[in-house]
Amino acid sequence: MSNFLQYTIFGIMLGAGYAIAATGLVVTYTTSGVFNFAQGAVGMIAAFCYWELVSAHHVPVLLALVIILVIGAAVAGALVERVLMRRLHGASAERPVMVTLGLMVILTGAATLIWNPTTERSVDNMVSGQFRLVGINIQYQEVLIIGVALAVAFALRALFYSTRTGYALRAVVDDPELVAMSGVSPNRMSQYGWILGFMMAALAGVLLAPTQTTGIQIPAMTLLVVSGYAAAIVGRLKNISVTFAAAIGIGLAENYVINYVLPHLPENLVPDVTYALPMVFLFIALVTLPSVRLRAVGRLTTMRAPRVAGGKESLIAGGVFLALAVVAAIVFNNTDVKGTTLLTLGGMVMTLGIVGLSLVLLTGYSGQVSLCQFSFMGIGAFIMGKVAGGGSVLGLLAATAICAGVGALIALPTVRLRDLYLALATFAFADAVATGFFNDGHVFGVGGVTIGRILLPGLSLSGDRAEFLMVTVFFVLAAWMVLAIRRSLFGRRLVALNDSPAAYATVGLNIGFTKVAVFAIAAAMAGLAGALYGTVQGVVGTTDFDFFPGIIFVLFVTIWSIRTVSGAFLAAVSYVALNQIWPNGVGLFAGVGIILIGRAASGVLGIEPFQFPLPWVRRPTSPAVGPAGDLVAPSALIGGETSAAS
Amino acid sequence: MPPVENPDGGTAVLTVSDVAVRFGGVSALSDASLSVGSGTVTGLIGPNGAGKTTLFNVISGLQTPDHGTVYLFDTDVTSMKPHRRARLGLARTFQRLEVFGTLSASENVQVGLESGVKWWDWHRLGRLLPNRRAAARSASTGDLLAGDPIASAASTDAVCERLLEGVGLEGLGGEQSAAMSTGLARMVELARALAIGPKLLLLDEPGSGLDEAESTALGDLLAKLAAGGMAVLLVEHDMELVMRICDHIYVLDFGDIIASGTPEEIRKNPAVQAAYLGEATVPEEVVATQHGEPDADPSEPAAEPDGGSGR
Repeated sequence: MSNFLQYTIFGIMLGAGYAIAATGLVVTYTTSGVFNFAQGAVGMIAAFCYWELVSAHHVPVLLALVIILVIGAAVAGALVERVLMRRLHGASAERPVMVTLGLMVILTGAATLIWNPTTERSVDNMVSGQFRLVGINIQYQEVLIIGVALAVAFALRALFYSTRTGYALRAVVDDPELVAMSGVSPNRMSQYGWILGFMMAALAGVLLAPTQTTGIQIPAMTLLVVSGYAAAIVGRLKNISVTFAAAIGIGLAENYVINYVLPHLPENLVPDVTYALPMVFLFIALVTLPSVRLRAVGRLTTMRAPRVAGGKESLIAGGVFLALAVVAAIVFNNTDVKGTTLLTLGGMVMTLGIVGLSLVLLTGYSGQVSLCQFSFMGIGAFIMGKVAGGGSVLGLLAATAICAGVGALIALPTVRLRDLYLALATFAFADAVATGFFNDGHVFGVGGVTIGRILLPGLSLSGDRAEFLMVTVFFVLAAWMVLAIRRSLFGRRLVALNDSPAAYATVGLNIGFTKVAVFAIAAAMAGLAGALYGTVQGVVGTTDFDFFPGIIFVLFVTIWSIRTVSGAFLAAVSYVALNQIWPNGVGLFAGVGIILIGRAASGVLGIEPFQFPLPWVRRPTSPAVGPAGDLVAPSALIGGETSAAS
Repeated sequence: MPPVENPDGGTAVLTVSDVAVRFGGVSALSDASLSVGSGTVTGLIGPNGAGKTTLFNVISGLQTPDHGTVYLFDTDVTSMKPHRRARLGLARTFQRLEVFGTLSASENVQVGLESGVKWWDWHRLGRLLPNRRAAARSASTGDLLAGDPIASAASTDAVCERLLEGVGLEGLGGEQSAAMSTGLARMVELARALAIGPKLLLLDEPGSGLDEAESTALGDLLAKLAAGGMAVLLVEHDMELVMRICDHIYVLDFGDIIASGTPEEIRKNPAVQAAYLGEATVPEEVVATQHGEPDADPSEPAAEPDGGSGR
């Protein structure tokens, strides 16, 4: 019984920490409509700053808290809103997600540069000592966390429901114009939301840091509040009371599972399950969330659609690309870069290019965000290594088919929800697979899984040149397929779904089916890329398909252009190149890049100076449609004359 | 619940019975009932916030009512998903534009045309459309498509062109719809709605942004569609247009149908005048002609969170 009470107190304490972070998320979302994926990273930075000030430089705790929360977090929150988020108004729906992910990788990248990950850092409790109650020991730190969480929850509720500022904060997302008409600045309200959100993230990080028995680690602290994400989702990203209660419930459930269930599992599964638990909770929260009503919101995209190459043009471009690849294979054979042959790096570019193409299809065309394409790559590589002895065509087929099935299973629970929830589900899946599956010593093994080169009857693909050319052919085929899909009925449907889900449904098209289908196709492409990546590398291990590189690659594709085949290819080239030149700076590059791109829907390739005129493409002579306000000519409505603007 | 009789005596394509919708403490619709017959244009008018768009959302499946039923012909579609209602022949346009902005005008229409094509039918692209859709379209659009080769060997491109031409967008098929003016984009929405071959067409303020002459042309088009057998339910603030082309009109105020009748009857109805002028009192004699029981508190503000009507 005393054990149960002990676990309960610890669970409530854990939940209280999650609750602070989760209510911060809710505040930010309520006031700006943006889900801050960097919430955990902000908490991580706060925890490290706290360690730096208190443990390393012996600054008094209270002064450290003032510096971190009141000065650091508040100023950072205000700056992020002003500099990064405000200019995203009117951007495509996935862009705020990308920018907050960019912020996350910047913060984790900066932390890695500042605080050497190999150094162990322990954070002492803010208040030491304990007392005994009903037969159990309760630490003052635990009481502090619970007390602070309750105070935060009550203060927020009072702010939101009993003050004029609170009403404005809640109204600002629904109708900023109306808020402005009442004399309140919507931007100011959003800024308050970001300040509060950052402060709560920092508070959660600082309070939970001492609970890390093995010391604070950058990835672990960044993902520590993922359980808070689940709580925020249970609260439907708007209800602070429900979010708070859910966070406590998740903290309790997590602690009970760890103490009562895990001891009965095989020893090798314990760390996997422990790591995957927050993601499991997040997934359960997503599955149990009630359906979101389809709304007609009058969304009218203003972005210029990138030109889609025609069938003949694609064939010629693909042929030229293959010819150049043959030349490269001849010229650069046996050329090494830092111990890796250039053709192997080229092979990596092609396989990552296929992953980029899967994102073009999924995010660029249909507007759905997937943060787990590297997970599918890993699964594909694992299957490739395990089926038919590795390096077989059967393995390629199995990797593609199984990843399609897994992709459909992930997409299914979220099709009835907003697109943000698919991003969250893929975020959860990516981390759960990386920590709970790939990191398991039984999956890739200590030395990794060996994957041989593909053998075809009468054709040897064992040499580097043959391998490079084979994956290049796969890349070109994938590019052809993506462009052919875009030109087809299915492609039109994907774009239509992205532009207006309400109109999509009311012309008789099934939103759920389309979303699941495109997600499955994208997952299959990533699985195929993973299998090919395995044949290029020869051996794949736990770190090849990690969580953060997966996120960073999505940002690379978005920076170049997530809506074009060229963008996918350039993202793969730059990602592989930068990993060779400055591996520690890849995250920073991605984060800064996505912030600089801002709301440019078509990335770098969509910016005017980068749009090179192609001699065979006819530029539009003059706008056939006049400026807003030009209406169809009277006689034009029933056949005959066209509009005055034509 | 069996469908109620259409006021014009024809086949009731749409029957809405006692539909109520509340948003929190606000009543957007209170026991609203109406019926739309085939081959007729039925008007739905009312001041801002009366509940017109909410009723459209209920009919098209974007809003589930708290109670009440919606029938399309003899099928109860109250809890049916929007895309399945569309497959039964219901098409709509939106008060706030919902064109597929990244796509061209022609592609917008193409998405509608191809909406009945299943994934295993993709080889049909650019080839013949299913005959049943062609027949429905041909009938529903009257002489708009007269002489159209759709029944013989039309490609989707040809049908797109014909539909765009029919709504006055000849030569503009290649334009990105997001770059079009509001008036033109509304016509793209209309062409896309017609492309699914509807039996019932819901139009939410299609005349908004059109001048008098354009509005006249739109009225002629809708009359032709109705003459071809299509049922049209029209929300519109252009009273001249409504009075000219509607066979029957319902008046919605504070979520209640406060009156219904022919344009002439509606024009003379003091309750309608009161609603439009913002007078709270509804004369006794008008109450007798009301459809449904008005149970909402007139002092309670009505709301259309998905976009109130703009006069």
